[in-house]
Amino acid sequence: MDTLRIYDELCKGVEECGICIYVCKEEVFRPSETLNQKGYRPPVIVNEDLCTQCENCMIFCPDLAVVVSEKKRKKGSK
Amino acid sequence: MNELVHPYHCFIRPTVTHTTFCPGCGDGTVAQSILRAIDGLGMDMDDFVFVSGIGCAAWIPSPFFNADVLHTTHGRPIAFAFGIKMGLPDKKVMVVSGDGDLVAIGGNHLIQNARRNIEMTVICVNNGIYGMTGGQAAPTTPMGVKTTTTPYGTFENFFEDISGLVIAAGASFVARWTTAHPRQLTNSIKKAIQKKGFAFIEVLSQCPVQFGRKMGTGNAVQMLEDYKKRSISIKEAKKLSPEELRDRIVVGEFVDLDKPEMVEEVTRMIRRASGEVQEVVDAGRG
Ligand SMILES: Cc1ncc(C[n+]2csc(CCOP(=O)(O)OP(=O)(O)O)c2C)c(N)n1
Ligand code: SF4
Ligand SMILES: [Mg+2]
Repeated sequence: MDTLRIYDELCKGVEECGICIYVCKEEVFRPSETLNQKGYRPPVIVNEDLCTQCENCMIFCPDLAVVVSEKKRKKGSK
Repeated sequence: MNELVHPYHCFIRPTVTHTTFCPGCGDGTVAQSILRAIDGLGMDMDDFVFVSGIGCAAWIPSPFFNADVLHTTHGRPIAFAFGIKMGLPDKKVMVVSGDGDLVAIGGNHLIQNARRNIEMTVICVNNGIYGMTGGQAAPTTPMGVKTTTTPYGTFENFFEDISGLVIAAGASFVARWTTAHPRQLTNSIKKAIQKKGFAFIEVLSQCPVQFGRKMGTGNAVQMLEDYKKRSISIKEAKKLSPEELRDRIVVGEFVDLDKPEMVEEVTRMIRRASGEVQEVVDAGRG
């Protein structure tokens, strides 16, 4: 399963909002090249590997447009 | 491979496709903080009746939450909530509304029902402005700020400490956070929901459109950063003088106490008056 998912159609744009990019401590997101159906520019995931699953982007997003999967168990533990 | 699904989308009314808020508005972060608290307590939307007044913040539960929601008249949600709690005492009643709604036109409902200590959760989303109607000065707009109605800056003293007002009125639980503290906010909402009494949470929330853009305090991200910089915990604030605390936002849980709750007192009185239970003279309460 993926670590992150962005609901493009719910996003109101990194230019006007941009909270996800601001609260992410790693550089996981970048503004998309394209606009969504409403004319907003959502973020795209560029560095999924850097994601620490801190959930900041999910918790701060005012439009419930980002999900982070629950933190994986440490390697080796089960 | 199963696709990731947002854990709180199940709480949203299926016919609602998106929030009503402007891009970057803090109200959506407050909405999610409430849903996270409900989910975290293992509760269901059917356990609640949500009540809101008029304003942008009033659109947090209505029609967004897939629950029973009463979207009432301006300033009156707490009065409606009181009625709901009297009629349906087993329901959790939560009021979500703005600073203008709850503290300006609705100010006396807030004071009197905090005094009565009616069991309900009141979330006051304080953006320091009348957002929905175009950015007019509110009693919560910081002094000197230029708004639509005060082009030379406001000249009134303002409500700097709404939480202090509600504490003085007698609420059981009072906390203040900002949208830069969504995790702490969720924890306080959880406590507020479980409180047998009037539980009030003030949340400073950025209005980047009617406040930030017009007053030059910046966009959503700059306003969040400003909240983060100005916030100070209750413990740290105790070490500072009033001058040093100017422009700071004291955040945390101010009050969490147990005291008589009115709906319960009324029920007790009815049982006494109907002879269901023997009259017990409580000297302390007269
Ligand atoms: C009786 C009455 N007076 C005035 C209005 C106009 N009005 C609508 S919303 C609002 C202010 C809302 O401010 P607030 O509660 O802070 O909500 P915000 O939009 O800032 O979230 C006013 C004055 C009204 N709808 N009804
Ligand atoms: S006017 Fe302000 S408070 Fe209302 S939705 Fe827009 S940003 Fe939010
Ligand atoms: Mg307001």
